[in-house]
Amino acid sequence: MSNRNGWLRGTTIRKGGTSFNSNHTRHTTPQIQSTSSTIFGGGVKDPSGRTSEYFSMDDQCPVCKSDRYLNPKLRLLVSACYHKMCESCIDRLFTLGPAPCPVCAKTLRKLAFTPQTFEDLGVEKEVAVRRRLAKNFNKRREDFPDLRSYNDYLEDVEDIAFHLINDIDVPETEARIAKYKIENANLIELNVQREEQYAQYLKEQEEIDRLDREQRAAELRRLEEEEREEREKGRRELIDKLETSDKDALKLVARSKAQALKRASTRSASSSASNVFQSNAKLLRSRAAQSTVIPDVPHVPLQDDWYAYEDKFALRDNYDDPVSEAVRRDREGIMRAGGYRVEEAWQRALTFAVAGLDLRPLGSAVPSKSTEPADVVMAEA
Amino acid sequence: MISTTETETPGFSQKIPLYEGSTQFRHWRYSPEQLARTRSAMNAAAVQAIKDAFEADLPGSSSDVSFLSADEEILLVKLYAGKVSQLCGHFRFPEEVEATAVTYLKRFYLKNTVMDYHPKNVMLTALFIATKTTNHPISLEAYANHIPKTLPSDVLDLEFLVAQSLGFDFAVWHAHRALWGIWLDIQNLPDIRMDELRQAYDVALKHVRASRLTDAELIYTPSQIALACLSLASPSLAAAWARSQHNSRSPTPPSPPTPMPPSESAVLDIIEPIASMITTSGVLPDVEAVREVDRRLRLCKNPEKVVGSNAHKRKQEEKEHKAAEKRARKAERIRKAMEDGDPFGTSLHEQDLDDDDDDDED
Repeated sequence: MSNRNGWLRGTTIRKGGTSFNSNHTRHTTPQIQSTSSTIFGGGVKDPSGRTSEYFSMDDQCPVCKSDRYLNPKLRLLVSACYHKMCESCIDRLFTLGPAPCPVCAKTLRKLAFTPQTFEDLGVEKEVAVRRRLAKNFNKRREDFPDLRSYNDYLEDVEDIAFHLINDIDVPETEARIAKYKIENANLIELNVQREEQYAQYLKEQEEIDRLDREQRAAELRRLEEEEREEREKGRRELIDKLETSDKDALKLVARSKAQALKRASTRSASSSASNVFQSNAKLLRSRAAQSTVIPDVPHVPLQDDWYAYEDKFALRDNYDDPVSEAVRRDREGIMRAGGYRVEEAWQRALTFAVAGLDLRPLGSAVPSKSTEPADVVMAEA
Repeated sequence: MISTTETETPGFSQKIPLYEGSTQFRHWRYSPEQLARTRSAMNAAAVQAIKDAFEADLPGSSSDVSFLSADEEILLVKLYAGKVSQLCGHFRFPEEVEATAVTYLKRFYLKNTVMDYHPKNVMLTALFIATKTTNHPISLEAYANHIPKTLPSDVLDLEFLVAQSLGFDFAVWHAHRALWGIWLDIQNLPDIRMDELRQAYDVALKHVRASRLTDAELIYTPSQIALACLSLASPSLAAAWARSQHNSRSPTPPSPPTPMPPSESAVLDIIEPIASMITTSGVLPDVEAVREVDRRLRLCKNPEKVVGSNAHKRKQEEKEHKAAEKRARKAERIRKAMEDGDPFGTSLHEQDLDDDDDDDED
């Protein structure tokens, strides 16, 4: 405890010296015990439980005006009223007990100062407010009869958060929170428990998985060990036999090989039992995946209603064709553009050959109505 | 799974044949009468416009000018269509480029007249565009250097105009490719003698080239032209292939546009006029006759298009004036919008869109 809160007594506990030039955040682990019941969060923790502290070369204490140039070890902390101050100022002002904030005159305590996480103190405040509200306003969708009332509740929460963040009607809002707390004490407690249970459940699941993996790895190691020993034993026996008996050496070697094979097959049969574990785990995972599967309708990229005369000709593999002779002989593809296939050129030519073969010309003896186009270009000078 | 079956259920009967979706079918298919009407109407309108221009310049000066007729215009275009194949031989462009350029040239003169734009320049531009649209690009400098008395600007000046007249329909279905397809497919027929087929193919290809000088591609489909060319070379082969096409088709009655698939003789009926068209008009015009037409053209060119003439100057001034007016209108509109407080003006459908882009010069 003394080591942890050493900085509050004016002794710095920064490890690794002062390396400012690297980046604008640094990692420290000041675990502050909050005693204040006011809005108070203390920075945001990353997954490892440490606080990423905001840090800039332009830092200057607004109270004593000392900056990082004068004092490289300058560390600014944020008060409960969201004003920054350096550690030495905090020591100077608040060591003797609660004192007014030099900026806004709100009474502050030394313990209620937190490290700064975000550059913008507004964000810092919002995060703290929301964290505080989330503790009490933890109702779920299941706690409401319909979606409408759930949305109303969310709207209310958002309203309260907005008031607190922007300091609008703070006393009234606080009263609202207190009222809500009293009214819903049971439910809040229940939801807290639920969340804890869920966290516990996740933890247990992870633990089970881990044990499972370890067990499997141990099994595998054991099998390998056994196999190695057996091989060793077989070899030793073989050498012994070769030394002592007067049978044909080749036959002996063959027999020992057959034995080894038999052993291996029994081993693989026993190890298949361990696979059951694996398949169980797989099944669990695939069930989880199934619940979120979106139906995958095949995508048809080209949908048109053109008739390309497919039934009027049959493309052969080969033709006697002097036109494409040179290209076909050119195996290296010097004459071919990328992706050129002579079959496609043939197909195009065949399409041309049969396209509109029986279309009557306009104004001929047997005009069908559809062939008289309305948009014939008019004679205009 | 479901969606694939859904796409198949609409089925065969509702599908549109590919050729009938092409711009060649939708925008550039005429009957012979329509072609004649289009050309004569355009010729008459152009003559009237040029007469007016002459009169505005110098009253009474138009009386002794002999204007070109529609047929004479065709003659001139045909001559330059022949020049395209000369040029392509010089540059060693593939057949695709040549055929495309000729098609562009012919289509251009269905929207413009020779008296406005001389086919020599249009031909050069059409060929240059064709090299690009058929993926055989050549640099403009190399192109212009190899053609005597031509500057890069001569080619480029008309480029947008030509593309616009074509309606930006650059893809062309060519008869020579259809002929190639017939050559491939005919090998499926039993007892085909390859040497006979080879000979017929070479002759048919010559006829396809001749067909480019005619209006065939504006009236018939490329497959019909190719078959007609083959029938000119070898009637028996063409008839055999047409019969095989008819037979292979009968078990599955396709495509709705022709509810009753015409018999093989109907196809042969269709291609008969093509064959006669190719033999009668698939020849280059007499150079002397064309020279005479060209000499007269020099006198009856649209003066508004001749750089340096009074009419041209006047037209330019008019254009300038119009453009200035338009700019002033736009500035006024913007100023008003700024005053109203919204720099981007009112929403589009509220304001009156003046779409007088001055590209309709004719």
